[in-house]
This record gives sequence, structure tokens and C-alpha cells, in this order.
Amino acid sequence: MALIEIDNLSVTFDAGDRYVHAVQGVSLTVHARESFGLVGESGSGKSTILRAICGLAPISGGAIRIDGKPLQTPRGFDFARRVQMVFQDPYASLHPRHTIDRTLAEPLAIHRIGDTDRRVVQALRDVGLDPSFRFRYPHQLSGGQRQRVAIARALMLEPEILLLDEPTSALDASVQAETLNLLSRLRAERGLTFLMVSHDLAVIDHMCDRILVMQHGRAVEELDRDQLAAGAMKTGYARTLFNASADRMLDG
Amino acid sequence: MTLLSVKDLYVTFRTESGIVEAVRGVSFDLGRERLGIVGESGSGKTMTGRSVLRLIRPPGRIDAVEMTFDGIDLLKISERQMRALRGKRIAMVMQDPKYSLNPVMRVGEQLTEGLRRRDGLRGAELHRKAIAALEAVQIRDPERVLRAYPHELSGGMGQRVMIAMMLIPQPDLLIADEPTSALDVTVQAEVLSILDGLVRDRGMGLIFISHDLRLVGRFCDRVLVMYKGRVVEELEAKHLMQAQHPYTQGLLNCLPRIGGDRGPLPGLDRAAAWAG
Repeated sequence: MALIEIDNLSVTFDAGDRYVHAVQGVSLTVHARESFGLVGESGSGKSTILRAICGLAPISGGAIRIDGKPLQTPRGFDFARRVQMVFQDPYASLHPRHTIDRTLAEPLAIHRIGDTDRRVVQALRDVGLDPSFRFRYPHQLSGGQRQRVAIARALMLEPEILLLDEPTSALDASVQAETLNLLSRLRAERGLTFLMVSHDLAVIDHMCDRILVMQHGRAVEELDRDQLAAGAMKTGYARTLFNASADRMLDG
Repeated sequence: MTLLSVKDLYVTFRTESGIVEAVRGVSFDLGRERLGIVGESGSGKTMTGRSVLRLIRPPGRIDAVEMTFDGIDLLKISERQMRALRGKRIAMVMQDPKYSLNPVMRVGEQLTEGLRRRDGLRGAELHRKAIAALEAVQIRDPERVLRAYPHELSGGMGQRVMIAMMLIPQPDLLIADEPTSALDVTVQAEVLSILDGLVRDRGMGLIFISHDLRLVGRFCDRVLVMYKGRVVEELEAKHLMQAQHPYTQGLLNCLPRIGGDRGPLPGLDRAAAWAG
């Protein structure tokens, strides 16, 4: 059975004088331990889907089910234990005046989970950071180190689903490689389910089993990995994205 | 014909913990062509670009054996003469629209500031030029964008506004610092073709600074690969895949590819002696 089911989802923002239809009638299913990718340009609604799952965007139609059960509003503790999100910009998503220790310990405190000391140190080790980073502030870390902290934070409650919103687009190529390798390793070790957003088709292809191409808030085409590698897309828009993808550039 | 000639450029910062050399002995010549400078954060590529416009603030200092633009010695001329070159003859597109656009000024005002102050344009003529500049970078509703504040624009829009602004005075040399990293691939392709057209049709020189080796390889004529302030390899872009230097090869190999195998991506060996 599908772990994440999104059924005809619509998200509409009220911008005062008009309505912005960020997501219009998108459906998708992600199976347990699967890695599913959402690709599209800015404004295509891909990040909004992740935010809607977390209750950060106003759902105006359709339904989201995790493990067959509709989501509660507000999302609540159980949801946080199962689903966590890693945001795009590690410069903006970590509290600048909280130490790494405080950032990582906060979910434990909220959920009244003890053993904070050991868990924080272990979390740092799991993402390949030395425990000496524990009492530093985000500004004392590089972009790649910060994104590792953001991943560690998302994993503190041992969720089964990670929502990844452009987790490497703010990073250098070599740091991106390290971060993608880290995510792949954690997924294999913990049996995580990924729902990942990226504008980079090569990154999505590397990380995901199936992808959904989006444009202007609508689903354009769903592809599996073989279809993508073979360039077997049916819609013109998916082909445009494929042809414009940076990694195709040297083959041309 | 050589438009810009840089020989043995050093950019140093005197800090409390000693002297930091951001750029160490960089030399290159630029004709009316597209030169790519590639490297990771901290490799000195942005500092190299800024040095050409003498935009390094104290305690940073620029030293070079030669830095000549179109017969003008950039090391010797006064700050006043330098200001006359900036924007009009040498323009730079900065990396981040969030920090490079004035947050409390409407886009239209800052876009047309040069036209008003330098060229004395007013009214309908000014408006027409501003609209044309935005249309040239494929902005679909230029009227709305002119009235907007920078925070009301997406990153990609802001980036295009900056490019439009820099291209209005028709500079001879454009230094573009990661001009397309905030853009979607299809918009990126559009912006690149705009820049490409300017190099081809107007004979503009372009220095294209980027961390994306594949993009630079596709778009530029020549590529300088920088690491820790030095140029480790210079090569024709079309020979990029035959790069000899281990750092260049490492940068190419650590990128995922569509249809590639999904094993761990190779990391970059930064400990090697060539960092010197």
C-alpha cells in the first residue's frame, strides 16, 4: 500500500485582489521506502506540495493521506514523528542564535524524549560531523556543514518520511556530491521514504525511482527512471526540461 | 584583438590572523569572446572579477604586473576615471539579487537610474527603454515588474532585472558573476542566448564566472579553472572533457548524470599538492 497518497490536491493562496492557484489537481502516490522526485521550474508548485503536506500551505481541495489515514489539522506530534522536512537554504533554515546543540535537542525536548546528550552526539556522527561542532553557531559552519545539521535535525525524531526541498541547490558541486551520498546512505540504512523536490533533473535522476514533472501548478508527466534515462518522455514540456538540463550540454 | 589583459594578479587581505591571499598570480587575456572562470566557493573567481572593476574594499588590496582594458591602465587611473568606466564600458552582474538590488527602491527607478542621470532621459522615452530592457531578458509582464519592489520578485526575476540593468548602457565588457545560478534551466538557456547574442553581434567581451563546469563548458569559448586563488588549468571549452588536471576532472566527475549509475558520487580530492 502507498505510504503517501496525494489525491487531486489544490493549493490556493489569497493574494488580496486575486487568488493564486499554486497547485491544481495534482495526484501522486509514493510507496514505502521509495524515493519520489518532483521536478519543475520555480513557481511550478513543487515546493508547495511539500509545504501542503506539512500544513504550511492552505489546501483548497483534494486530500493527502499518510499510510491510508487523512492528515489532521493542525498536524500534531504523531505527524512530526513520521514526517520531517529539509529546506532548501541552510543559511535561512537554522536559527542563527541557537547553537547546533540547541537546534538538535529541541525536537527531543518537545517530544519529551530523554537521552539528549547521547542522541545529539550520535546525530552529528550520523551525518558525518565531528561532535566538536555541537556548541557552534550556524554562522561558524560552511554551507555543506549547515545542510548536514539540517538533515541531522530532521532525523532527530527518527521519521520514516523525509521531504527534501532542493536540499543541495545552494551548495557547490563537490559538496552537493557529498550531501547526496549522505542522503542515499541514510535512506539505505534507515529504510527512509523520500519525497524530493529539485529543479535539477540530473540530481533527481540520481536520487529518485520515479519522478513527476510539474508546470504552472499542474502535473505534466510521470516518468520512471528508465524512461528518463532513455529520454522517453511524451510531453513537449518534459522534453524541453530534459534537453535544457545541464548535464546534457556536453553530449550535444 | 585583446580587450582586457591581466598579468600576475594578486588580491590580498590583511586580517588580524595574518595575510589572506584570495587571488594568487592570475593571468589571462580576453578578446571579444566568452571566457569562463570556474571554481568552488572560495577559489577566488569572484575576487578576480571584482578586481577588474577595482571593487575590492580595504583592507583588501589589488596588485598586478599589468591590468589593461582597451589601452587604459586600470591600475593607474584615478577613482574618478574608474567610475566613468564602471557600468558604461565595463559592467558587472552580481551574484545575488537579494543583496544587489536596492530593497527600498522600485525596480523601475533603479533600472532607469543610469538612463536618467547619465543620459538625461525622461517620460515616455524613458519608460519605453525600460520596458524594452526587461523584454530583452524575457520578462513577460514588464509593467508590473517596473512597479514592484525587489522582494516582490522571485530570484530568477531579480536576476534578470540585474542583467537588464547592466546591459542598458551597452558595455564593451560584461563580468557576470553566477548570472544564471538562480534561474531555471529553460530561463537559463534564454539568458545565455541573450548574452551570446551580445558577444556575437556587438563584439562584447564576456567574463562568465560560475561554479557549474558543464554549463561553462557548453557556453564559453575558453575556461579558466581556479582553485585556492590560482588558475590550475586553462583550456578550450570544447576540450573540457579531455581535461588533464585532477581538480578539473574531479569537478566534472562529482556531478550526477541522467542515466548514470546511482552509486556514490566520487568526492573531490582537495589534499593534493597542486593546491600549493
